Amino acid sequence: MALLELKNISKIYGELKALDNVSLHVDKGEWVAIMGPSGSGKSTMMNIIGCMDKPTKGEVLLDGEDISRLPGKRLTDIRRDKIGLIFQQFHMVTYLTAVENVMVSQYYHSMPDEAEALEALGRVGLRERAKHLPSQLSGGEQQRVCVARALINHPELILADEPTGNLDEANENIVLDLFRQLHREGTTLIVVTHDPEVAEAAQRTIVLEHGRVAREVVNEHFVE
Amino acid sequence: MTKRRMFLRMVTASLLRRRSRMLIALLSIGIGATILAGMVTIYYDVPRQMRAQMRSYGANMLLMPAEGETFDSERLSAALQKLPADALVGASPYRYVRLDMTSRQQSFTTAGTDFEEVQKTSPYFSVEGRYPEAPREVLVGKAIAETIGVKEGSDMELTWQPAAKDASGSAEDDRVPGAALSGSAKGFGDAMVYVTATLDDQARIAEIQIDASTQTPEYGGRTAEDALFLKQFIGKALPLEMGNDVDALSGATVTSNAVVEALNTATAADAAKPRTTRYKVTGILVTGGEEEGYVFMSTDDLQALTGEDRLDVAELSISADEEQLNAYAAALTGDGVQARLVKRVTKSETAVLGKLQALVFLVTVVVLILTMICVSTTMMAVVSERRREIGLRKALGASDNSIRGEFLGEGMFLGLLGGVLGAVLGFVFAQVVSVNVFNSSITFQPLLLPATVLVSMLIAAASCLMPIRRAVAIDPAIVLKGE
Repeated sequence: MALLELKNISKIYGELKALDNVSLHVDKGEWVAIMGPSGSGKSTMMNIIGCMDKPTKGEVLLDGEDISRLPGKRLTDIRRDKIGLIFQQFHMVTYLTAVENVMVSQYYHSMPDEAEALEALGRVGLRERAKHLPSQLSGGEQQRVCVARALINHPELILADEPTGNLDEANENIVLDLFRQLHREGTTLIVVTHDPEVAEAAQRTIVLEHGRVAREVVNEHFVE
Repeated sequence: MTKRRMFLRMVTASLLRRRSRMLIALLSIGIGATILAGMVTIYYDVPRQMRAQMRSYGANMLLMPAEGETFDSERLSAALQKLPADALVGASPYRYVRLDMTSRQQSFTTAGTDFEEVQKTSPYFSVEGRYPEAPREVLVGKAIAETIGVKEGSDMELTWQPAAKDASGSAEDDRVPGAALSGSAKGFGDAMVYVTATLDDQARIAEIQIDASTQTPEYGGRTAEDALFLKQFIGKALPLEMGNDVDALSGATVTSNAVVEALNTATAADAAKPRTTRYKVTGILVTGGEEEGYVFMSTDDLQALTGEDRLDVAELSISADEEQLNAYAAALTGDGVQARLVKRVTKSETAVLGKLQALVFLVTVVVLILTMICVSTTMMAVVSERRREIGLRKALGASDNSIRGEFLGEGMFLGLLGGVLGAVLGFVFAQVVSVNVFNSSITFQPLLLPATVLVSMLIAAASCLMPIRRAVAIDPAIVLKGE
């Protein structure tokens, strides 16, 4: 069953076609990687999937609902309720502790719950660092806090934008292991990346070029 | 944990953990609130204080007898009862009469007044020497003192002449049973000795009183008090013969003779007679005004001299604004008394205070505007500094209203802290200004604290409007692929 379906979407900025008639189908529980060189339309696609932008043409179905024509306010609601975001630059609120950063996500979603936030930190192995400020955490630790923040509200879809771009190999593996865990639990994952190793961890890789889907690769070595 | 607690946690964390930037905003609100609180305190408190100070420019209300009425100390005190005690700075009664200085063949306007009150209503009076305290002490205006050459410590004799209408009858005719007689004669050193006596139903002396205050106290002066000397007059019929009817007091022959002569020439007491008293000059009055041409004595002394309890006018110094003064004047008028404002004083007072308040008001408004600009600029910088964080919050699902609420919350919290800080510092500031500039301390107005806090919070909120607009406009997509 499709969680996300892009139907012939285009995004046109004046003369420039950032996305040109792209279609994509992601099933519930699937782990998909999106690759492509800069300017291939990765970011635009990410923005549209993340409910932060709308296509010029085409339909975006998330959980069966067409979100491509919804007003900004409704998009915010859908993003909050269904999508967990992970960024390359981590983006933590600098003056809040690790656990408070996780709670911010709860705060906007429903109700802050410190115990639950601590549990989520425990899952990414940072229970002991819960009271630390971002400046006291390493990059890898910060990204793990962001993973905890993304999964705290049990989103249908986790959208990760170059999640390992700023991490060393050890931390990259930790994050990928977390993704594997989430995948096993049935979370749908879409990971935008430059890194072939990260892409190979996914079940399927979509390669974008010049705003079109150039090819699609199914990872045969994928281990469940 | 409730949403509200998380909200407070985020807002306080933002303020407490990002100290430097917030300190600037807090400082600007704090300084604004300080000046606001200080200025408001000055605005309300100093006019009250200055009114008291301005009372040094002299009386601002006059009380006079109404048409065809007479004015006396009783009516004055009855009128003063109608004023609130804390508003009345002082009330000086005045009675003006011409007194002669026989030895110089000159006459001076003499004012009978209450010196204690004069010092309150006319604090600008300057006395070389001291104000009179005991009976028969006078203050002499500088102009007079220079003309007749009296100094502090000099004696001067002043004579009161009754109006010419009292042409008295002869001494014999007035000696009727029950009559009250009074007479005078020259005693030692040609100074006057006064005697009053009442006659019984057989026209014999029933009571006698001697005023020998002009005589040497140890000699002639004793005639007024010596019981044996006084007793020998009782029951005698007039006229008396010295040595036969009565004996002189030893050491006071001249005065004793004067007493007898005064009795023998005494006429009915209700007929006013000239009277002379010797006074001691305790000080020279320097005012630079017309008061320098007057002699001042206590109302009691003047009453003793003229035998009348009368006042011409009372000068009142009242601490109040013009509107209140008019109300007081209306309240005081009546019962044979009329009150009127000294326009010259009240008008200039009102003008000065009005200008001062306008200035304070203007400064306050300017400071508030500057505070708003400063806070607004700081918050603007805060928004640009936190673009990424705002974008993140939006990406995490924050609605525009959440973003507004958070920034407004931070702003109001700053306003609260700044307001409390400002109210306290403002009071100190106002106190310092008040003590250094106006020489008066001020009382803390309890209402000032909530008022300052409220205004600070409103100003902080207003300053946040523009920055909030900018924050709401931030695109959440900036968190993706951010450089």
